[in-house]
Amino acid sequence: MARSSDRPTRERRERRFALVLFLPAFLVLAIGTTVPLFYLLWASLWRIDLSMPWLSGFAGLENYAKMAADPRFWNSLGLTVIYTGSTVVFQVVIGLGLALLVLRIPRGQAALRIAAIMPIVLAPVVVGMFWRTLVLPPDYGLLDLVTQALGLGSHNWLGDPQLALVSVITIHTWQWTPFSFLVILASLAALPPDVFEAARIDRANAWRRFIHITLPMIRPAIAIIVIMRMMVALSAFAAIFAATGGGPGTATEILNLYAYRTSFTDLNLGYGAALAVVLLAITLLVSFLMFRLRRAA
Amino acid sequence: MSAVGRVKLQGIVKRHGNVTALHGVDLEIAPGEFFALLGPSGSGKTTTLRILAGLENANEGRVHVDGADVTDVEPGERDVAMVFQSYALYPHMTVYDNIAFPLRMVGTAKSAIDSAVREAAAKVRIDHLLARRPGQLSGGQQQRCALARAIVRKPRLFLLDEPLSNLDAKLRLETRVELRKLQRSLDVTTVYVTHDQEEAMTIADRMAIFMEGRIVQVGTPDEVYARPASVDVAGFIGNPPMNLLPGRIAADRLHIGDHMVALGRDLGAEREVTVGLRPAALRAGPTGLPAKIDLIEHLGDTKLVICRAGESMVKMRVDKAASFRDGDDIRIGFDPGEIHLFERQSGRRL
Amino acid sequence: MSRRALRALLLLAGASVLLAVWAFPILWGLLTSLKTERDVLAYPPKLIFEPTLANYREVLFGSASILPNLWSSLVVTGITTILTMLLAVPAAYALARLDLPGKRSGGFYVLATQMLPPVGLIIPYFLVLQRVGWLDTYQGMIAIYLTFSLPFAIWLMVSYLEDVPREMEEAALLDRAGRIRTLLYVILPQVRGGIAVTTIFVFLNAWNEFLFAVVLGGNRVRTVNVAMFNFISVEQTLWARLAAAAMIAMAPVIILGLLAQRHIVKGLTVGAVKGGGRR
Repeated sequence: MARSSDRPTRERRERRFALVLFLPAFLVLAIGTTVPLFYLLWASLWRIDLSMPWLSGFAGLENYAKMAADPRFWNSLGLTVIYTGSTVVFQVVIGLGLALLVLRIPRGQAALRIAAIMPIVLAPVVVGMFWRTLVLPPDYGLLDLVTQALGLGSHNWLGDPQLALVSVITIHTWQWTPFSFLVILASLAALPPDVFEAARIDRANAWRRFIHITLPMIRPAIAIIVIMRMMVALSAFAAIFAATGGGPGTATEILNLYAYRTSFTDLNLGYGAALAVVLLAITLLVSFLMFRLRRAA
Repeated sequence: MSAVGRVKLQGIVKRHGNVTALHGVDLEIAPGEFFALLGPSGSGKTTTLRILAGLENANEGRVHVDGADVTDVEPGERDVAMVFQSYALYPHMTVYDNIAFPLRMVGTAKSAIDSAVREAAAKVRIDHLLARRPGQLSGGQQQRCALARAIVRKPRLFLLDEPLSNLDAKLRLETRVELRKLQRSLDVTTVYVTHDQEEAMTIADRMAIFMEGRIVQVGTPDEVYARPASVDVAGFIGNPPMNLLPGRIAADRLHIGDHMVALGRDLGAEREVTVGLRPAALRAGPTGLPAKIDLIEHLGDTKLVICRAGESMVKMRVDKAASFRDGDDIRIGFDPGEIHLFERQSGRRL
Repeated sequence: MSRRALRALLLLAGASVLLAVWAFPILWGLLTSLKTERDVLAYPPKLIFEPTLANYREVLFGSASILPNLWSSLVVTGITTILTMLLAVPAAYALARLDLPGKRSGGFYVLATQMLPPVGLIIPYFLVLQRVGWLDTYQGMIAIYLTFSLPFAIWLMVSYLEDVPREMEEAALLDRAGRIRTLLYVILPQVRGGIAVTTIFVFLNAWNEFLFAVVLGGNRVRTVNVAMFNFISVEQTLWARLAAAAMIAMAPVIILGLLAQRHIVKGLTVGAVKGGGRR
């Protein structure tokens, strides 16, 4: 029996209606994301150098071969791992700690929630600029004023290579910890109180209650946060771009920045495309692994 | 009697993936009838109603209304109205707008809508609440609003899906009576889904009893009560339902344990049966089935005596004046005419 | 009792520090925007100073006014938001409620498109827009902005539409409304809140976007974020003026963020549950 002729006409009418509603958005996404993706793959096989257009031509896997021997690429890859890993860990740990703290405050939670929303709604590029111009400059930046007042001296937060990496990680953590804080706070507040009362009656102390009850119950929320924050950290761009531009030198040049600089500063779009392909592959791999892990958990 | 609203379901099969919800349902409902679809949850009664409404598609079978095949007709074009278990009132509209909605959708003139809405609201006595929103109504009022929305368009078929189940017990009894009167005055074929056998017995002209995706019996409340078609039906109808005991027949003799009853008719070769006895048909007497009283429940005007007879539990409804005590040894008597017999293997009535 | 009081005090102190860390840079920016350039560079910093609106006057009406940039941002963001909602709501309804052929893979596809990092797509976007001559045009920017707004909007709307009781829709169908009027008169009015929140989020994301704006824009279409960025890289930075510009650029998102405050966690986690955010 053929499936389509098996279906009642009414069912077919509903499917047609559903398709009419879904297709416009689908077409926009297909043309706007999927076609460009293949175009990107194709472009990564070419030499496209806008500063030296006469050299353009089909290059095969040359760009990828070049990448393997490119220390700047390996540097950017390492920075991406450090940046993504540390920001995600900080966001979750600090967010969890703050949420547990704030949950015990009887009043003023609303004000805190509003304060937490501020960084989230700001444009990352504005955040990067803010930190660069108001928080981190030596001598009159907010942070320098604090460290000087505490007798820790003045530092060139964005000029020193190691401090610059710490700084961009801090900026990202500052902007997005409120997100994990809010999500964890919401899921903590939604936990049934009787479980905790029962645990209390069972004479579990605060630490044990946290380890054996709270943590397992909010694990789904934390899994969601980790997945989402990893995705966002992997595509982070504007805040670093505004704060350091990837510098000093290549000290904060994560893969995103390197692909951008190669394409639009050095105008070497072919090699930039190959870098972008690697970035996409990593992102897809990570998201795939994350969803597998989450399903397994 | 109404001339429209004749329903015929033919061989309706519904599958959800690998699970078959309905195994070929056949049903005919006459115009103007108040017809109940009765059965435990998951028996397929609601699915049948939804297929009749056009909200779900059957995998096989046809749906006819007034002789026309409506299997492929959209729900809105079947000229049926439905009251949902949750009422499904539109929360963003006033009661007036809720009731007017089905008329507006077919472009009825404003003045006609107004009089129809007021008439329908008056019938269910919510005409003073027309400006409210559903959220500002009590459960009973919401239920009336849903009824008004259904009757305002004078449909040829009126479908009710457990309409009383969200009301408290007292209101449920009152509304049951009103619903029955309303149906009489409107003279509209009504199909009523319920899992409550008492509700179906009191309200319906006829009913179909569903068990595990099949109709096991169709009949008037009296017929179903007097001659349940199977053990399952017998165990479902009546409050409390029939006592079911293992027995054995041989020719015109029935054996329940060591007790023997003369049936007065020859039922042929010896075999195992299930014996059904209504609690109200039993009485304690000098002779009969020996039993021991476990517990006595006081129901006000009657008592329910729960006793053990061999391996089985037997409930007996007796007058409140009867004097029994826990632990008494009694003998349970009954007329041979009150005995229901079912084949042990198939559960079918003999 | 005293131990309790001490604990309450500590909690309060912790909360205040927290509040300060998040709110202070923004308040500091606000203060800076009201200072003269001389006061900004004063050491130690002045907390008491004579506030001036000169910076705002300058960035709005001075030689390097950001008004044209605000207009560009508004046009790009506004049209993107409207188009996104017009496309996303029907698509979300089909995904949430209707018997859409290939529903699961369709939903997964939308989700996957949301996870692509923008840097991965910017090169093909640039090459294609260059070829069709759409670089530095509104139509080019809006077309690209749709690609990252849509998946998020669709998923957020799906989550709101799934909350509408199915029986409501069935009642409307039986009331002879037909599919289109059921959607317009019964379903959509019940997700008004969700539509408002989704609109706000789409607007926020588009307003905050930077990478596409800086690469695909130019002299004609320069959003306010790009203009501010040029502020620090081109001129010798005038801190107070930059702060004033930032305050103006931030105002809409902060207002919208406060409006949608209650829904922000839901909005952000929907993106999380079903995929990843894209900034």
